[in-house]
Amino acid sequence: MTKLITGVTRRDALKAGAAFAGVLAMPGLVRAQAAAVKVGVLQPLTGALAFDGQAGQLGAELAIKAINAAGGIKSLGGAKLEAVIGDARSTPEGGTSEVERLAAENVSAIVGGFASPICLAATQAASRYDLPYIVDVGVNDQIVSRGLKNTFRFAPGSSIVSAQALDNLVKLNDAAGKPIKTVLLVHEDGLFGSGLAKLLQAELPKRGFEVIDTISHPTPARDMSNIALQIKAKNPDLVIPSSYYGEFVLLARTMQQQRIKPKGIYAVLNGAASNFRFVKEFPDAAQYVIDTNHWYDPRNAVAIALKKEVDGMGKFFTYNVALNYSAMLLLADAIERAGSADRAKIIAALETSSFDKHIMPYGPTKFVNGQNTGAAPVNTQVQGGDIKVIFPEKFADAKAVFPVPA
Amino acid sequence: MTGPVNTSPRTSLLAAYGPILAVALVLALLPLATTANTVLNAMVLALLIALAGQGWNILGGYGGQFSFGHAVFFGTGAYAVALLQSRLGLNAYLAFGAAVAIGAAVGAAIGFLSFRSGLRGSYFALVTLAFAEVFRIVANASPWTGGASGALIKLDMRPENFQFASRATFFWIALALVTAALVATRMMERSRFGAYLVAIRENEDAAKALGVNTFRVKLQAITASAAVTAAAGAFYAQYFLFVDANIAFGTWISVEALLVPIVGGLGTVFGPLIGALALHGLAEATKALAGRLPGADLALYGALLVLAIAFAPNGVQGLFNRLKGGFSTRRAA
Repeated sequence: MTKLITGVTRRDALKAGAAFAGVLAMPGLVRAQAAAVKVGVLQPLTGALAFDGQAGQLGAELAIKAINAAGGIKSLGGAKLEAVIGDARSTPEGGTSEVERLAAENVSAIVGGFASPICLAATQAASRYDLPYIVDVGVNDQIVSRGLKNTFRFAPGSSIVSAQALDNLVKLNDAAGKPIKTVLLVHEDGLFGSGLAKLLQAELPKRGFEVIDTISHPTPARDMSNIALQIKAKNPDLVIPSSYYGEFVLLARTMQQQRIKPKGIYAVLNGAASNFRFVKEFPDAAQYVIDTNHWYDPRNAVAIALKKEVDGMGKFFTYNVALNYSAMLLLADAIERAGSADRAKIIAALETSSFDKHIMPYGPTKFVNGQNTGAAPVNTQVQGGDIKVIFPEKFADAKAVFPVPA
Repeated sequence: MTGPVNTSPRTSLLAAYGPILAVALVLALLPLATTANTVLNAMVLALLIALAGQGWNILGGYGGQFSFGHAVFFGTGAYAVALLQSRLGLNAYLAFGAAVAIGAAVGAAIGFLSFRSGLRGSYFALVTLAFAEVFRIVANASPWTGGASGALIKLDMRPENFQFASRATFFWIALALVTAALVATRMMERSRFGAYLVAIRENEDAAKALGVNTFRVKLQAITASAAVTAAAGAFYAQYFLFVDANIAFGTWISVEALLVPIVGGLGTVFGPLIGALALHGLAEATKALAGRLPGADLALYGALLVLAIAFAPNGVQGLFNRLKGGFSTRRAA
């Protein structure tokens, strides 16, 4: 072995140097920081759902930033949360693969999923490891009806949303002196569109509305003029569209061009009606459109500050941001109360959660079979280039304009 | 299409089936080498695609009948296994067998309709594409298939339900299915039927002139092909316990099923397996390399795929053969 200086081998010198470099590079270790708690952020960051997935990731990361800035998890000695990002690639297999990776990286819990098929597959993969999983959006009711102990959904499912949509429609109509008698349904033929249309066809007549036609369209659809012409011919009082972003934007613009003005457009879980991008790009077509959807609480100070921050980044403050932000806070609260990064203890803490520091218009969180029974959608309406909450009154920041002035 | 076809009866059994068993044995040891479920899950997915591709390879690789719609068989298998369990309460293993049989029947029906009409080449490809699309729309609209919300198999993790807590068990089952398909393909390759099929690929009219019943042979080929791909679909549903119309009958699986044999080596026994392992290995490697930037791995994957196809136009197996040839010439010189 080559001796550099008497008694010191080159190997020793290298070892010492490496150790010194290590100390320089990681000053955190010297200060004996509490070990960070890893949390998985699983979103469809690439593929067809990338717009939604990236918004969800933004919400989760902003929440982690806020939690860490406020001193981390106090019951764990101020441990920071550390996001481990997973890209579900907009497919269930992609979601499953990423759950495997996140589990192997020892995350304590996962937040996200967005689309129902991804949530169905990912929650199940996580259940193999008893890994707590908070679903952010996925509205399919089967997600929480399979008896998975690890699965929690913070937002309302489609049965809650559609029941609420019907009740609120009746209330709106009654308050305005019952101007709406006939209804026309437009729906996309996929995931929620068909199911929702079937439900509305059965329920609307019971509540005194006449469904005069139901028109379905595929996703993607490139032309809506035929549907617009049919609406014009039938001349319904109310149009209820259930479509994704692109198709509804197209329909709203076509109706505007052809001067089709029903007394109202009342959407349920619509991809565009409560999306700032649509309102910003087509303010005239969007004016007075009502939606029943996930939305942040416009009276909540944290939500208002967060919206300002997201606007400042040049990004859209979609419901994905607000839901993932809230879900991450909910998780942090559970870890705080569990006093541990242990997965089973976090599940137990989530089961008994009564968390109410979220930014959604919900009451305190209460999970029954994994569904947050405190969750509810709101009715939003586009008014003068902004999206306002018009219902329920407890959270409303504007009065409904209904029926739409001719 | 220049797949090496070995139909000589004198070829010893060891030379024919030895490599298959050796590969199966080596792969079977994997769960002993790693307990990482990430690796096992990726391998299960790769084997699943390999199986779907092996189905395609029988019809497309050996028979020269290019299908763009193998999703129709994959989806039939997937939906059959899910619906037979959830709607009719059939045992999972019986449902799996039935799903393969139903897939084969759908293959026979589609084959009968299209081959009887004399559809060849791009017309056959288009008609399979159309069938897949029709099945997708029906599955998406019909209430019996669960419509757009898809079909769910009840989670009940017990071996008698074909649900296992360990990913390793699923891996071995997938490997067993792939091995069975490899052996079946080799048997077919050595049989008279295999020779007829290759004759049809090389020149259908000449084969017919020599007395080959081309309609019958093609019908048998599409039935076998559909059965193997349906098995892959049934396995998918049993593994993820969920299918919807876009997963089952979407274009992604039609593309994967033809991509892996083409990349691995068209009309060769190992082609689909090599292609699937190479493509999925590449995907995993780029995922690890690209790090956190979303989509960077997909871009890298695409670039590497372009390079691979540019430098190995006969598939990975073709590249092996070329390299082997190159070495032996050098050694001889």
